[in-house]
Amino acid sequence: MRTRNLELTVGAFILAGLLALAVLAVKISGLSPSSAGATYSVHAYFDNVAGLTPKAKVTMSGVTIGQVTAIEFDKTRYSARVDMDINRKINTLPADSTASILTAGLLGEKYLGISVGGDDEVLADGSEIYDTQSALVLEELIGRFLLNTVSKEE
Amino acid sequence: MTDSSDYIVDLQQITFRRGSRLIFDGVDIRIPRGKVTGIMGPSGCGKTTLLRLIGAQLRPDSGAIWVNGQNIPELGREQLFAARKHMGMLFQSGALFTDLSVFENVAFPLRVHTELSEAMVRDLVLLKLQAVGLRGARDLMPDELSGGMQRRVALARAIALDPQLMMYDEPFVGQDPISMGVLVRLIRLLNDALGLTSIIVSHDLAETASIADYLYVVGDGQVLGQGTPDELMNSDNPRIRQFMQGEPDGPVPFHYQAPDYLADLLHREQK
Amino acid sequence: MSVISRVALLGRAGLDTVSALGRSGIFLSNALLGRTRFGNSFALLLKQLYSVGVLSLAITIVSGLFIGMVLALQGYNILVGYGSEQAVGQMVALTMLRELGPVVAALLFAGRAGSALTAEIGLMKATEQLSSMEMIGVDPLKYVIAPRLWAGFISLPLLTMIFCVVGIWGGSLVAVDWLGVYSGSYWSNMQNSVEFVDDVLNGMVKAVVFAFVVTWIAVFQGYDCEPTSEGISRATTRTVVYASLAVLGLDFILTALMF
Repeated sequence: MRTRNLELTVGAFILAGLLALAVLAVKISGLSPSSAGATYSVHAYFDNVAGLTPKAKVTMSGVTIGQVTAIEFDKTRYSARVDMDINRKINTLPADSTASILTAGLLGEKYLGISVGGDDEVLADGSEIYDTQSALVLEELIGRFLLNTVSKEE
Repeated sequence: MTDSSDYIVDLQQITFRRGSRLIFDGVDIRIPRGKVTGIMGPSGCGKTTLLRLIGAQLRPDSGAIWVNGQNIPELGREQLFAARKHMGMLFQSGALFTDLSVFENVAFPLRVHTELSEAMVRDLVLLKLQAVGLRGARDLMPDELSGGMQRRVALARAIALDPQLMMYDEPFVGQDPISMGVLVRLIRLLNDALGLTSIIVSHDLAETASIADYLYVVGDGQVLGQGTPDELMNSDNPRIRQFMQGEPDGPVPFHYQAPDYLADLLHREQK
Repeated sequence: MSVISRVALLGRAGLDTVSALGRSGIFLSNALLGRTRFGNSFALLLKQLYSVGVLSLAITIVSGLFIGMVLALQGYNILVGYGSEQAVGQMVALTMLRELGPVVAALLFAGRAGSALTAEIGLMKATEQLSSMEMIGVDPLKYVIAPRLWAGFISLPLLTMIFCVVGIWGGSLVAVDWLGVYSGSYWSNMQNSVEFVDDVLNGMVKAVVFAFVVTWIAVFQGYDCEPTSEGISRATTRTVVYASLAVLGLDFILTALMF
C-alpha cells in the first residue's frame, strides 16, 4: 500500500520536472519544431557588418522571414559575406531587393532588413542579394558630418 | 593440546595496530567448538576489535585467523560473502535497521543469502522471533521497542541463517535485571539447542562467568590469562586477580599519573 | 607555537585534506561501480527519490516563486529608468536559467536534502547499522549509499527546472499582473532572447554538475564522520559549508567555460 503511494508521488515528481523542461523549451525559449528544409539559402556581401551576429533575424516590413546563419570574411572581395536562411514560403523576393543592416531598439541589437525591389526575377536557393547597405558606424557618420560642415563653410 | 578441528576459531599471532597504539601483540586465542567462550578485559583493551577481526571488518597487521578451516584475511570477496553466512553478530546497540519493521529486519539476511519463497521466509522469521520471545512484535518498528527488545530482535536476525558461530559484543551493557536475565538465558539456550559456538565479549564479570565454559582475559595487547571461570577465580596472577575480584587498585593503578601529593599542595599554599 | 610547528600543522592539514579527497574518490567508485548482491535496488532508489527529491519540492517551489518575483520587481525598478521595462521578461528568464536557478536550487538542496542525508548516514554509522549490514554480507556502499547518490543526481536537475519555471512564472505575476508590463512583450521578448541550447541546456548542465558534487559531498561526510553525536553534527555542518562553496566555485568555472 505504502509502496503504491510512494511510486505515485515519485512518478509525479519526475513528471513535473520533465514538464518544467518542456515549458522551458517551448514557452520560455520559444523553441518551435523547426521544419528544417523549409528554408532556402541566400547570401549578400557587406562592407561593414559591425554588430551583426549569426542567428540574427532577417525581416521584411518588420516581419521575421529568416535567420542569419553565417558571417565570414571573403578575402577575394575584401568584404563580409553573410549567409541567411529564408522561409520557403517567401519565395517571391525580387532579385534586386536591398538588404540593409539595421538596429533594433535602444540596446542596439543588429538585424537584417530586406526591402523589396522591382525585378521580375526572384531570389532562389544560392542567389546573391546585390544591393546591400552596410551598418551605420558612428565614427564614419561623424567623419561625414564634419566633412560636410567643412565643405559647406568653404 | 587437542586436535585443531575442535576449535572453530583459531587466532594465531595476531598483531594489530590502530594509529600508533599497539592493540594486539602476537595474540593467540582458540575458541572451542560448541562452547560459550567469554573474552573479557578492561575497557579499551580491544575486545570489540577482536570480533571485528574475526568478522573481517578489520585486517590484522600480521597473523592468521582461521575460522572453520579458512584463513579469513586471505579470503576473496565471494568467499567472504559465503563465510559470513555462517557467522552471526550481535552488536552492542542491536543495530536494527531503523527504516525496516521487526519482521523485515529478521528477514533481511534470509533475503540476501537465500532464494527462499516468501512463505518459507515468513515461517523462518516467525520461528526465530518465537525463539527470542518476540513473535507478537513482528510488525512494530525498531523505535517502538525498548532497548532490551531491540537487542532480542537483533539476536533473532543474527541467528536467521542458523550460523555456526555467534558473536556477542557487550550484550549485557546497560540492561535492567529482567532483560539481563532473559539475554543470559537465551545465549546459553541457543548455544546448546542450536549447536552454536558463542563468543561473548564483555566486561560484565558475573553474567559472563555464569554462562561461559571458557574465559580469556585480555589486556595490554596480550592474553593475560585463560581457563574455566573457576580456574581464573582462583588465579595467582595479580592482574587477573585484580580484574576478577574487582579490586580498585593493583596492576591497573587507581591514581592517574600525578606529581608528589605533598609538593603539589604546598606549592599552591606558597602562592 | 613556533613557526615550524605551525608549518607542520598546515602540512598535516593539507595531507589530511588530500587523503580525505582520495577516500571520497574511492568511496564514490565503490558505491557506483560493480554489481549488487541483492535484488530490488529499484525499490531502494524509489524510496530515496521520495525522501531526497519529493520532500525538497516544497522549499524549491516557494523559494523559486519568491526569487522570481523579487527579480521582476527589482528588474522593473531599474529598467523603467531606461524606458526598457518590456525587457524585464528576458531579464528574469536569463538570470534564472543561467545563474540563479541552478545555483540557488543547489544551495537549497544542500541545506535541506544534503544535511538530511549526512545526518541519516552518520546516524546509521553511529548505531552500527552499517557494520551489521556488512556482517550480514551486504555492502552498505551499494545498499545504503548508491541509491541515495542516484536519487540526488536525478532529483536536483528536476528540482532546478521546476525552480526556474516557477520563478519565471512568479516574475510574470509581478511584472504583468502587478506592475503592468504588457503580457505579450514579457513573453515574446523572453522567447526572442532565450536560447534553448545556450541558456536552458547550459543551465541544466550546471544543475547536473551541482547535483553530482552536492550529493557526493553529503553522503561522503555522513559515511566518513566520527560515529558520535558530535561527529554527526560536525559532519552535517561540513556538508552544508563544503557543498555551498563547491557550488559557488563551480558556478564560476562553468560560467566561464560555457558563456
